[in-house]
Amino acid sequence: MSWQVVAYDLFSVLIYPGIIFLVALALFYQWVDRRVYARAQNRYGPHHTGPRGLLQPLADLIKLLAKEDIEPSAVDKMIFRAAPILLLTLVFTALFMVPISGTSAIVSFEGDLIFLIFIMTLFAILAFLAGWGSTNRFSLVGGMRAALQTLGYEVPLAVSLIGPAILAGTLSVSNIVAWQAAEGFWSILLNPLGFGIAIIGIIAIIEVVPFDIPEAETEIVAGWQTEFSGRKLGLLRLAHDLELVFVSGLVVALFLGGPTGPIPLIPGIIWFIIKTVIIVFIIGFIRAQFARFRIDQMVSGSWKYLVPLSILQIIILQLYLMI
Amino acid sequence: MSDSTFTIPIGPQHPALKEPEHITVTIDGEYVVDVKVRLGYVHRGGEKAFEARTYTQGLYLVERICGICAMAHQLCYANNVEGLLGITPPRRADFIRTIIAELERVHSHLLWVGIAGHEIGWDTLFMYTWRDRELVLDLMELATGNRVTHATNAIGGVRRDLTPDMINQILKGMRHLEERVKYYAKAVPAERTVMKRAVGVGILKPQEAVDLCAVGPTLRASGIKRDIRKDDPYSAYDETPFDIITNDGCDVAARVLVRVGELFESLKILDYCIEHLPSGPIRVRVPINVPPAENVSIVEAPRGEDIHYGKSNGTDKPERYKVRAPTLANWASVPTMLKGGYVADLPITLAAIDPCMSCTDRIAIIDIGKRKKWVGSTDQLRRHIKKCHGK
Repeated sequence: MSWQVVAYDLFSVLIYPGIIFLVALALFYQWVDRRVYARAQNRYGPHHTGPRGLLQPLADLIKLLAKEDIEPSAVDKMIFRAAPILLLTLVFTALFMVPISGTSAIVSFEGDLIFLIFIMTLFAILAFLAGWGSTNRFSLVGGMRAALQTLGYEVPLAVSLIGPAILAGTLSVSNIVAWQAAEGFWSILLNPLGFGIAIIGIIAIIEVVPFDIPEAETEIVAGWQTEFSGRKLGLLRLAHDLELVFVSGLVVALFLGGPTGPIPLIPGIIWFIIKTVIIVFIIGFIRAQFARFRIDQMVSGSWKYLVPLSILQIIILQLYLMI
Repeated sequence: MSDSTFTIPIGPQHPALKEPEHITVTIDGEYVVDVKVRLGYVHRGGEKAFEARTYTQGLYLVERICGICAMAHQLCYANNVEGLLGITPPRRADFIRTIIAELERVHSHLLWVGIAGHEIGWDTLFMYTWRDRELVLDLMELATGNRVTHATNAIGGVRRDLTPDMINQILKGMRHLEERVKYYAKAVPAERTVMKRAVGVGILKPQEAVDLCAVGPTLRASGIKRDIRKDDPYSAYDETPFDIITNDGCDVAARVLVRVGELFESLKILDYCIEHLPSGPIRVRVPINVPPAENVSIVEAPRGEDIHYGKSNGTDKPERYKVRAPTLANWASVPTMLKGGYVADLPITLAAIDPCMSCTDRIAIIDIGKRKKWVGSTDQLRRHIKKCHGK
C-alpha cells in the first residue's frame, strides 16, 4: 500500500467526510433542528452566537466540555465512564457506512445494512446499560424504557429499511445508492409506506417527541442521562446530534437516492445536505406537532399498525418485482 | 411492599413540579401502586404575619400568597374585612372587582392549558398559550398598574377606576382572546396524541370527588355542579348571567374541557360586566379600627373555593386570620387519581388539579411518622399553637 493511499484513507476518516466534517455537520443540524422547532412554536431559537446563531451548538458543546464532571459515588464507574465514549464510537462507525460525498461510503461491504440495523439496536442497549450503571431511580426507569421502546420500533424499522435492498438486490448501502443513481430514480417512489415507517422509526431512535419516552423530562427528569454531567453529557449530546446525521443520512441513502441528484453539476455533498436537511425539517415539525406517547401506547401502536404496514410494503415490492 | 415494587421520589425538586412538594410514589414496573404526599416545603408563616399587620397592610400580604390567584385571595380578604366592618362597597367597585377577577381566571386557565401541554411533552401548546396569556397580563397592567400582584382592592372598594379608554382596550383585547380560545377549544381536543394521554387518566368518580372535598374545576370535571359564584354570589356575580361548566368524564380530558369551557364563560362575564358597568364612586371610607367580630368569606378562585376566616378584636390588626387555599382541598384526591395508573401519567394527573403549592403551605402539617407524640393528643397540639402565638 503506497503512502498516498494511506494518506487519502486517513484524510477521509479524520477530516472529509470523516470525523471533523461529521461533527461540524452534526452541530449544524442541531442548529437547524432548534430553529425549526422554535419557529414552529413562534419563538426565535438560537440567533445570537455567530451568524444567525449558527455557532450556538458549538458554544453549548464547549461550555459542557468545560464544566465540572460530577461522578456520583454509587455509580458503576466502568459503564458510566465508557457509555459516552462507546456511544460516540458507535455513531461514528455507523456514519462511516453511510455514503455522504459520493455514491460510495468510507467503509462498505456486502451486508453492511444488516450491520447498521444491529448498531441501531446497540444504541438502545447502551442507553439501558448507561441507565443501569447510573444507579439512579430515574436513570433505571429511563434505561428500561429505552430497552422497551426498541421492542416497538426495531422490527418495523428493519423491515422498512430492507425494502430498498430488495429493489436493488443488494444488502450494501453504497450499492443501493449506486443502483438508484444508475436506474435514475429514487426508491421512495415504490416505497412510500416504507419511507413513512422509517421516519417514525428514526424519531424513536433519536428519542425526540413523540417518542422521547426514555428521556421524558416531566416524568423521569432526563431518563437514562440524568446522572451525566460536564464532559460526559457534552459527549452524549454530540453523539445525539451525530445520530441525527446518521439516521437522516441513512434514510436519504436508502429512499432518496443518497448524495446524487438530477443536476449533475452540483457536487454530491450539496445534494446530501439538501436532502438530509429536509429530513431534519420533517423531524423538527413532527416534534412540534405532537405530545409524548406513553410507552405502552407506543409499543402496542407499533405492533398494531407499523408492523403490518411494513410487511404490506414488502409484499407490494415483491408483487412489483414479479410483474 | 413486595420485591417487585420500587419507590420513586417526586420532588421536592423535580421537573414536573413547578414548586417544591414531595410525593413518594411506589411503582411496580410502569404502574403506580401507592402514593404518599408530604406538604409543607414552602410554609412561610403568612397567617402569623397577618396578626402583626394592619388590615390595609394585610391587603398587600394576602395577594402574595399566590402569584396567580392574587386577585382571588385579595378579593376574599377585602370581602372578609368588609364583612367584619359591616359595610358594602359601591356597586361600581363590585363590577371592577369582577372584571379583574375574571381576567385573572382567563390568565390562570390559559397558563394551565400550557402547563398541561408541557407535562405531556407538547411544548408547542405551552409556547402558544403563554404567548396569548401575555395579552391578558397586559390588560391587567393597563387596568391595575401591575401584571401579577395587582393590588386592585382597597377595603371598601377598589383603588383605581376604569376609564372609558381602558374599557375600549380591554374589549379589543377580549375579541382577540376569544378567537384564540376558540382556536384552542378546537385544536386541543382534535389532537389525538393529547386525547390519548388524557382520556381515562386520573379518574376521580363523582362520589369520591365529593367525599374527598375536591373543589373547583377538578370537582366540576367529575360532574358535580358546584361553583361559589352561583351558589353564594359575591361582588357582581349575583346579577351576571353565566353557566357552570361541568363534564361527566371524571378524567384529565374532562378537566381540560371544563377549563376551556370556563374560559368562554369568563369572557361572557367580562362582556356583561363591561356593558353594565354602573357609574358612581369606587370606594367608601372605612374606619381604621375594626369592631370585634368573626367572619368567613369564600371566593371562587381559578382553582376552586378559596376560604378565608378572619377574627377582629377592636384594634387595627386582626386577632386571627386563616386561609384555606383551593389546592389544599384538592391534594386529598390526588392519591386516588394516581393509584392504578401509569408512571407516565403522573405529571399530567398532578398538573390537572392545577396545584399551587405556596398557596397550600401556610398550614403546618403534622408528620405522623416523625412526631408520633402528637397523634391523638390535641392538648399538646393546642399547647404548641399557644407557644407559637406567644401566649
